[in-house]
Amino acid sequence: MGKDKDVMSSNAAVAEHHHVAPGDPPHIHHMDSKTAYGAAKLGMWLFLATEVLLFAVMFCSFAIMRYYHLSEFHDASHHLNLKLGALNTAVLLFSSYTAAVAVTKAQRGDNKGVIRNFGISFACGLIFLVVKTIEYTGKAEHGMFPFVWNEHFYEYKNFLGLYYCMTGLHALHVIIGMAVMYIYGIRPAMHNRYSGRYYTPVELGALYWHLVDLIWIYLFPLLYLVG
Amino acid sequence: MLGLLGDQGSDFAHKVDYAHDIVTIISVICTVLIVGVMLYFAVIYRQKDGKDHETPHIHGNNALEVIWTTFPTIVCIWVAWLGYDSFVDMRTVPEGAMEINVTGRKWAWDFQYKNGKRTTGELVVPVGEPVKLIMRSQDVLHSFFVPVMRTKMDVIPGRYTYEWFRPIKTGDFQVFCTEYCGNEHSKMLARLKVLPKAEFERWLADDSEAKKLASMKPSDRGKEIYAGKCIACHSLDGSPRVGPSWLKLFGRKGELSDGGTYVADENYIRESILNPAAKVVKGYPAQGMPSFQGQLSDDDITGVIEFIKTIDGTTKVDVAAPAPKKSAAAAGATPAERGKALINDAGNLCATCHSIDGSKLVGPSFKGLWGRKEKMSDGTEVTVDADYIKESIYKPQAKIVEGYGPVMPAMYEGKLSEQDVNDIIEYLKTLS
Amino acid sequence: MAAHSSSHAAGGEELNYLNWKTGLWSWLSSTDHKRICFLYLYSIMVFFILGGIAALIMRTELATAGPTIPSIVKDPHTYNVFFTMHGVFMIFLFVVPGIPATLGNFLIPLMIGAKDVAFPRLNLFSWYLYVFGALCGGIAMMNPVDTGWTFYAPYSTTTSTNVSLMVFAAFILGFSSILTGLNFLVTIHQLRAPGMTWMRLPVFIWASYATAVIQTVATPVVGMTLLLVIAERVFGAGIFDPTKGGDPVLMEHLFWFYSHPVVYIMVLPAFGVVGEIIPVFSRKPLFGYQMVVYSSVAIAAVGFIVWAHHMFVAGISDFSAKFFSIVTFLVAVPTAIKVFNWVSTMYKGSISFKTPMLYAMSFVFLFMVAGTTGIYLAMLGVDVYYHDTYFVVAHFHYTIQGGAVIGLIAALHMWFPKMSGKMYNETASKTAFAMLFIGFNLTFIPQFILGMDGMPRRYYDYPVEYQTLHTLSTIGAYLNGLGYMFALLNLAWTAKYGKVKAPRNPYNSKGLEWQTASPPPHENFDTQPVVTEDPYNYGTPHHA
Repeated sequence: MGKDKDVMSSNAAVAEHHHVAPGDPPHIHHMDSKTAYGAAKLGMWLFLATEVLLFAVMFCSFAIMRYYHLSEFHDASHHLNLKLGALNTAVLLFSSYTAAVAVTKAQRGDNKGVIRNFGISFACGLIFLVVKTIEYTGKAEHGMFPFVWNEHFYEYKNFLGLYYCMTGLHALHVIIGMAVMYIYGIRPAMHNRYSGRYYTPVELGALYWHLVDLIWIYLFPLLYLVG
Repeated sequence: MLGLLGDQGSDFAHKVDYAHDIVTIISVICTVLIVGVMLYFAVIYRQKDGKDHETPHIHGNNALEVIWTTFPTIVCIWVAWLGYDSFVDMRTVPEGAMEINVTGRKWAWDFQYKNGKRTTGELVVPVGEPVKLIMRSQDVLHSFFVPVMRTKMDVIPGRYTYEWFRPIKTGDFQVFCTEYCGNEHSKMLARLKVLPKAEFERWLADDSEAKKLASMKPSDRGKEIYAGKCIACHSLDGSPRVGPSWLKLFGRKGELSDGGTYVADENYIRESILNPAAKVVKGYPAQGMPSFQGQLSDDDITGVIEFIKTIDGTTKVDVAAPAPKKSAAAAGATPAERGKALINDAGNLCATCHSIDGSKLVGPSFKGLWGRKEKMSDGTEVTVDADYIKESIYKPQAKIVEGYGPVMPAMYEGKLSEQDVNDIIEYLKTLS
Repeated sequence: MAAHSSSHAAGGEELNYLNWKTGLWSWLSSTDHKRICFLYLYSIMVFFILGGIAALIMRTELATAGPTIPSIVKDPHTYNVFFTMHGVFMIFLFVVPGIPATLGNFLIPLMIGAKDVAFPRLNLFSWYLYVFGALCGGIAMMNPVDTGWTFYAPYSTTTSTNVSLMVFAAFILGFSSILTGLNFLVTIHQLRAPGMTWMRLPVFIWASYATAVIQTVATPVVGMTLLLVIAERVFGAGIFDPTKGGDPVLMEHLFWFYSHPVVYIMVLPAFGVVGEIIPVFSRKPLFGYQMVVYSSVAIAAVGFIVWAHHMFVAGISDFSAKFFSIVTFLVAVPTAIKVFNWVSTMYKGSISFKTPMLYAMSFVFLFMVAGTTGIYLAMLGVDVYYHDTYFVVAHFHYTIQGGAVIGLIAALHMWFPKMSGKMYNETASKTAFAMLFIGFNLTFIPQFILGMDGMPRRYYDYPVEYQTLHTLSTIGAYLNGLGYMFALLNLAWTAKYGKVKAPRNPYNSKGLEWQTASPPPHENFDTQPVVTEDPYNYGTPHHA
């Protein structure tokens, strides 16, 4: 899943190579910086579209499986920890807000602000993952985890199968999003890379983080509330 | 009109064929026209002497674009309608259609009638009556395709699908599985027999076999199967034939041809019946035995195992009694057709060891046998004629074709009449 | 930057993208779209050859009823493995990356007057993803998969072969494809030369654009579907397997939601290639340029809502069968429009029969056959008969081989002078063309007839009455294979040892890619090109 990394590296990494003065748009050998900004942004939006489609398959399967196994889905969703799910939703929503603030800071050339706000988002991501781990462990204790502690897993294999696929893939996206925020947001900002003329990676990183948040906004009611 | 799809066996077949004919005619005309125009342009506007000539600066023509957008659209709508029309017939089952349950499994078709009668690999229906097949699968996807009826439907585990047809003529037709389902996909065939109504009623009412099977002890059932399918290759007295003898088979330990060992327990016997090539006893041919997957049910296999447990050296079994000849006589008037019926008759065991498609089984294939020059194991050469075939049937050990073992049982004297043998010869002639 | 191209290598040779850096690593680490074209070209050819060998083994086995070559195809399982290998290698590893990743990579920046694609490093990364996917697929063939390239559940979720790794490979290859498509979309949007308006784009670019949209939008769907197959196999989630409460028809829907549009990924670029070739060799503007462009876009759009025509007998409702049949007919119209316009382009032209033109003309014939036989399969009642028979096999080989692969070979000849800087040998190429064309038709026309006779596909063995046609088909397959071998060896040999240097613009084409040196310098153009006219401005205006 290193692709997101690469989309943005065509800006950021080149900037490092050419030792530009802090805050200057990077020199890119085959396009001017305005085109580069447009290209990077269009590329990111297209990429987000593919991500949405990736999850769309599971939403679609979820709808159909729920139709077939309504009572199983009802029962199984009651085994999920609503409080922890709600906590995670709040955490991600908040982190999305700080990510948006980070972009504004970057546009004003406030590198410290980028570090602070992306740092909060990063920490929120961490909290999310910890809570998720607690939830998974809870499932395992009730024998609802595939592979090992699975004595009750097969009662709810339709619901839980999709639950683990959806939340698992989402958690992977959280991890990638955190990596993106660190590598393309926090670290360059420590070197004062961003200015009003160059802030593409921060913007794209935040976009990606919004997507991660957005998917969760759909996952939470589907899995925890509707059931 | 064009008859490209062969025989029409159902009452909606002509609609499908009509749609097919129309689209064929349109396709051929369009292709010939377009490729013709292209070739015509290519010839008259070719560069002469390899030099460019002046060309006009034509960017397009709106009138033409409109025409060749509209025209194909109209044709497409018409053709779509034709396809739709035939499909509606195909999917609209008439009231009161006879229902038959169909189960697809790896790799055979089972049929069950309303009165409880079951068949495997053979669907028997009356002519002129609508028949609805209610289908399900036991394992993976299959698809029930009867070319002559122009109908096909996937058979899906976990849900029912259906198809229907009204046969318009009697006969014996091919059924294919058309959804890939694994190793024996190409062998997952069945026959569709369309009988006159009265004859079908008789066939349907004849439950003697089912009753007999249901009330039988498992070991007796196994004994019957042995007599019908296994006796040619497996003895009960310890003498080796094509395969190992069944005397004291159960619990026997021994060496396999790949160096491993086996214990002849229930699972080993079951595997050997369903997948004979998996564990071959040392000293026996690797491809000697055909798989009985799809031919024997789980109950049948249990019966065989129970029978094997009872064999004690005094057990004697006669070759299954000759099958009633009436089916053969009814099916075909010509000697060749009767011969074919005899060959395929399970009681005669011919097809167990001789293929009709040229593949080498235990014995030489029947395909192209008639008139062939065969080299014998003693070095002589024999042309296959009536006398040779007669001798081979009545005295199988007299002349053995090179490359084959002396394994054919001498059991046909008295079982097959002179007339039967002549019929078989007539049939063999048609295979060359 | 222009300095590169005017300087000279040590041997006095002009510096170009092929020789400005040397050594294997300079290729494996190159972000130059022209070099990446070759990375793809070599890697897909490996799988073309492997897939081709699998096909020939299958055809040999099928030459006679009963076992034909028991030493190689020792049982039905082996046969099933070969057709799976043929399908997976040809589709995922050869045809899907076929024209887009090779010719698309080479031509898109050149044709729109850019120095490279928008994300050159992402482009190289896509190739490495491809290689990684290919390796996974290769390893999966150690315990060879026998599901067929469609991976239908529940066969794929229950067979003991290495399906998980194979579908993971397909997932990775899908991502390679997505990223390539995304890259091209951004490139076409952002990097067009001054004056290169949307309606001045060559039709190949339009075709690639439509292709890229499909790659980006459809591929994630199959990617996730395949991951769910893995989830089902690895930890027993119940999604597709009915014994676990899943729905096998759902799997078919999700699979074909990608795998029907993927046919357009394969064939749209070939349409583009033919649209480029015919005007050049007819010395005429492309007839009805706008209609050709719109039809590409229409095919891409409508292509998304026709997938269930693969499932008329799969247990979908009769209503959806009817809907999808009608919509499928809609795809026929833009395709027909394209053919009419190509042929009309030749009207009053000055036609020369160079090899690319022969391929393009044969494409028109082959695609007419593919298209009209497609009509049979869109017709509900007739498709019920033809579904999963040899008729379908022949139809999609006319589409994919007669369309996409012939398009690729045509394009390789067409742009060979630009790519290699050499001229190919006309006589050898035309001989190869003849073998290929005759062999191809001899292989697949008998299969149409087999389909009419009801012969089902994916059969290891068949009733003996089908044998004559099968034998003919096998003979054709060998001729076809020889033709491909000859055509490709001819090009490879010429690229390496050919003596005839290609001029800048050997066909006197108006295309932007021909206005730079052959082969082009590292950054394509010495000066930024400016576009002032339509792409196919051939002919004399006062003649119109």
